[in-house]
Amino acid sequence: MTDKLLKRENLDKLIGSVTVGGGVFVAPGMEARRVVFREVTRADEMTHDYIIPVNSYKDWVFPQTEVIARFAIKKDGVDLKGEKIEPPETVVFGARPCEAASLASLRSVFTWDFIDEFYTRREDRLTVLTVACTAADDECFCTTVELSPESTVGSDVYLKETADGDYLASAITDKGTAFMEKYSTLFEGASAEAKPKELFIPEKIDGIDLDRIKKWLDNKDHYDDPLWAELSRKCFGCGACTFSCPTCHCFDITDEGTTYEGEKRKNWDACQFEHFTLHASGHNPRDAQFKRWRNRFMCKFNIYPKKFTSTGCVGCGRCIRVCPVRHDITEVMEAISGR
Amino acid sequence: MENIYLPHLATITDVYEETPDVKSFRLVFQDEKLRDSFEFKTGQFALYSAFGLGESTFCIASSPTRRGYVQFTFRRVGRVTGGLFDLSIGDTMGFRGPYGNWFPLDEWKGKNVVFVAGGIGLPPVRSVIWNCLDRREDFGDITIVYGARRVADLVYKNELEHWGDRKDVNLVQTVDPGGQTPDWKGKVGFVPAVLEETAPSAKNTVAVVCGPPIMIKFTLQALEKLGFSTDDVYTTLENKMKCGVGKCGRCNVGDVYVCKEGPVYTATEIKRMYNDF
Repeated sequence: MTDKLLKRENLDKLIGSVTVGGGVFVAPGMEARRVVFREVTRADEMTHDYIIPVNSYKDWVFPQTEVIARFAIKKDGVDLKGEKIEPPETVVFGARPCEAASLASLRSVFTWDFIDEFYTRREDRLTVLTVACTAADDECFCTTVELSPESTVGSDVYLKETADGDYLASAITDKGTAFMEKYSTLFEGASAEAKPKELFIPEKIDGIDLDRIKKWLDNKDHYDDPLWAELSRKCFGCGACTFSCPTCHCFDITDEGTTYEGEKRKNWDACQFEHFTLHASGHNPRDAQFKRWRNRFMCKFNIYPKKFTSTGCVGCGRCIRVCPVRHDITEVMEAISGR
Repeated sequence: MENIYLPHLATITDVYEETPDVKSFRLVFQDEKLRDSFEFKTGQFALYSAFGLGESTFCIASSPTRRGYVQFTFRRVGRVTGGLFDLSIGDTMGFRGPYGNWFPLDEWKGKNVVFVAGGIGLPPVRSVIWNCLDRREDFGDITIVYGARRVADLVYKNELEHWGDRKDVNLVQTVDPGGQTPDWKGKVGFVPAVLEETAPSAKNTVAVVCGPPIMIKFTLQALEKLGFSTDDVYTTLENKMKCGVGKCGRCNVGDVYVCKEGPVYTATEIKRMYNDF
């Protein structure tokens, strides 16, 4: 596939073309002096100077809260209506290659036997335009989990920045091809002078071996290893890692509203919270923080690869950046690799 | 659009007060077509909703051989069960299911069956008991060992009386020491000890166990002493669930999703699980 050139000055037109028809354009922008994924309507709301936004764009396929049904309690019964969604065309611009790989993981959970159409309908309408990284920070570890800024998995259109701030674009999927055709006036033929900036490939953390981690976790006796309590002692269960993680998928279903009418909602939840697995009887299978942390690690490095043959961790580093106690998942990966 | 989280509406047609804080409801689906077509297998569970309060997970306590309704039993402990407790005959509630796997009754043909249950652990087992009794000729001896903390905590008192009267059922009832009343005619002792004393033969026999974790632990030991192979001992795990369909992420025991691969497991399978109970 030959590269096309998307000029930075044309981003405004691209955003306008997507949003004029009711579409949603999601891109990194500044909010309270931090770079976050958010909906934009003009190019000047975007920022281009960032490693990775604080939040994941999973919010646009798996919202923090969403209505799944509405009910009204009447004298002679209950009126109940399932929510039907018709998501708009949604474009994520400026995703990083690591995070792009996470959608396949979320999809595998939400389509495992029972199909959650609240997820699939949104993801079917989502086009991911990835901008490859020309910089990284200390928390980036994509190459340690077998991804890299050169990975195109999960991207629909893969973009590389040029020295002039334009983008060389190549379609990766049919969806990406269709997107570039739909907005073809904005994707020009690229001249030979348009050279991409060099990508920054973070160094792989030497002591980490994913296969060894998975195998070590395969042995159920290792669930009782004192290492878990030692390594996760400082975690106090705020759940920030799960909310910022692009592959974390846990949710709660609650009824909200007044006594006589309301809605059933699907809300983000986190395996790091004590109430998450608390039984009505008072028994809690994960009654200590290290057990909850152990579950999260197990989910990423054993359950996801084994059950869903997909990656549970893309190495985006968000969980490390947001952690208030600087609990670093790579430290645990390293310790277990050494076992 | 298919909505996997949308409950069916059901009308409560009967309410049974089992104990001061345990009730059973009989539900009939409001959709007549569903009423006729609804099928499930013994051991499967569902999510029951009190609208405005939320959903809770319970096994279906009625037998699939009794068509036209489903029955479930719950204890009032929290918000949802508190809301359910206040509902009465004619009220509408939600039902989502059936989900999960089931007890392999067809594999048990020609075998004896021993049921061991404690307290509020009898409801899931009740479905299996009635299923076996409705196909009585398929099975050999049927033994039921059921106990609770106190006489007042025994559920299904009418049915216990019926099972006790039947010649083709050996019912042994017990209450924990101190839980007996002056007119109590059953045993006094913990379920695992009473099971050992009852000593059902392990030969060509399967056992179904359900109760509080501590009872299960010692009952499994008692069954082992009686010569039962862990392959022939079945139980049902009751983990907290919100979706019931393998997505919300909280019912897993290590790498095992109870809602999808369970809730019914053999003791052999339980032994293979991670220490995440």
